[in-house]
Amino acid sequence: MVHFAFLDWFWVIAFIILMTVCGILFYKLGKRSMADFFLAGRGLPWWLPATSVYATHTATDTPIWVSGVVYQYGLRGLWYTFFSAWCAISAFASTRIFRRSLAYTQAEWQTLRFSGLGAELLRGWIAGWQVFMNMFVLGWVGMAMGKLCNYLFGWPQWVALVLFSTICAVYVLAAGYWGVVMSDFQQGVIAFLVIVIVSFWGISVAGGPHGIVSKLGAMGQSWRLNPFAFSGLTGGDFPLVWFLTMLVIAVIGGFGMGTSIDWYPEAQRIQSAKTVRDASYSIWSGTALIVIRNSIWAVAILGFFVLYPNIQETAQYEMAWYRIGFEYLPVGMVGLFFAAIVAIHLSTISAHLNLGASYATRDLYHHYFKPKATEKELVWVGRVSTLILLIGSFIYGSMMKEITQWLIFALWIMAAGIWLPSILQVVWWRFNSWGYLSSWIANLGLSWLVVWVLPEFRLIPDLPDYLQFWIMMVLGALIYLPITFLTKPEDMDRLVKYYVMSRPLGWWKPVRLEAERRGLVVPEAGAAKGGN
Amino acid sequence: QAVGMSIAYLFSFLGLLLAYYSYKKKRGEKKE
Repeated sequence: MVHFAFLDWFWVIAFIILMTVCGILFYKLGKRSMADFFLAGRGLPWWLPATSVYATHTATDTPIWVSGVVYQYGLRGLWYTFFSAWCAISAFASTRIFRRSLAYTQAEWQTLRFSGLGAELLRGWIAGWQVFMNMFVLGWVGMAMGKLCNYLFGWPQWVALVLFSTICAVYVLAAGYWGVVMSDFQQGVIAFLVIVIVSFWGISVAGGPHGIVSKLGAMGQSWRLNPFAFSGLTGGDFPLVWFLTMLVIAVIGGFGMGTSIDWYPEAQRIQSAKTVRDASYSIWSGTALIVIRNSIWAVAILGFFVLYPNIQETAQYEMAWYRIGFEYLPVGMVGLFFAAIVAIHLSTISAHLNLGASYATRDLYHHYFKPKATEKELVWVGRVSTLILLIGSFIYGSMMKEITQWLIFALWIMAAGIWLPSILQVVWWRFNSWGYLSSWIANLGLSWLVVWVLPEFRLIPDLPDYLQFWIMMVLGALIYLPITFLTKPEDMDRLVKYYVMSRPLGWWKPVRLEAERRGLVVPEAGAAKGGN
Repeated sequence: QAVGMSIAYLFSFLGLLLAYYSYKKKRGEKKE
């Protein structure tokens, strides 16, 4: 339990009012059209979506899991957080392609890249999945806040879940994405400043950088300072092959769309930037802030390890960074710290409320139910969808107290199973909608086999996660590649239109030659690679 | 160790069914 003085509560309440009013101020802009309610009219300079990328991916559970991996593995634990580096590649590859396509959502992009029934099925498939995913993320992040407030104030877990998500919904309902991105800017600034202050405070308490290094040496724990302290090629708790797998997933994944579950909120920020260049800068710099944030946290958590080296329980050492703030900051500063945690929380909740509503409105309601709906009607459908997502997140949150970790892993393996086809759809003209849809469906069956059925019946041993990734990638390819070649390529008219609009990278030569023949692009040497 | 994935797929299948019937309906309207 933490004791809050008057000054502490003053900071918290003042910041909540500031954040909520800032969002509501953009009510008039948000209600103009669906493009305003979900993409801020595609008119934002790069630094606004950049802070939104950073703020959205800093949630209340983020310092918990970063504390967990760094306390357990030392600086090499930072590699767990390095998967976000896919954005550094994507900023100059798939980000540019997606922004040029002008798709509102990833689901809509499927109907621009593919054609016919297959494209429509993919759009419905991804829209349905994203409505679920955003509700799930809202429940999971909401429960993380519930657990934190239970730890701090003894509140029942549902109180913080309902209280803070409802406060957040006020400005998301009023101003849509305009409210989200403008609040994200101030929330991102507040969060970054407080993360720096609290982390440096913790480092100072532990004796400063030199003190931490010498104390780790005296404890015989110097290996914690080496980010490359692998436990062997394939054995131990930190094998080299795991590291290489993670690098491949992150670096090559930047050429695809949907290679990580983070792609979907990123796609909304990409499309809200005013130019292709702004979109690139926003994704690159937002991710750079995330990587810098992780590094600052890591040093503070090493400081915490020096202070409390013998914590065995994961749930205890995962609170390392929060404990630095709540146990060492003076009165008044503790309230500022909690206000920053609220800022971190609201930025994530607001992003997923609006993102889930965009799939429900643009892809399900507008595309399938009422294509002739007016802009005013669509904004109201966006608001109703936001409200449904909010209520759904309360139900999810209360259901998943115990199963969260397993579900998160389930969703990781789900993204991992479609990692390669998510790249192929961007870089290879011949990959068609039936290939991509079959890769999703095959992924479910293969996951059942590789993750549970075969190990359960002792037909294969329990496999580490990196091996599951590679096995599922190969087995999946044995299904979706034959299906791709046994079905027709996409309609050439659609491919040419997509090529001219999006200028994709990779193997697009037949489409490029056709676009040149039609006089739609200027012939130039070596722009697209070979045929198949 | 539940690894949840099927629940996520259930939502995807619902979206796919919606897309399928919507596509069939549009095709039917075009033929008329």
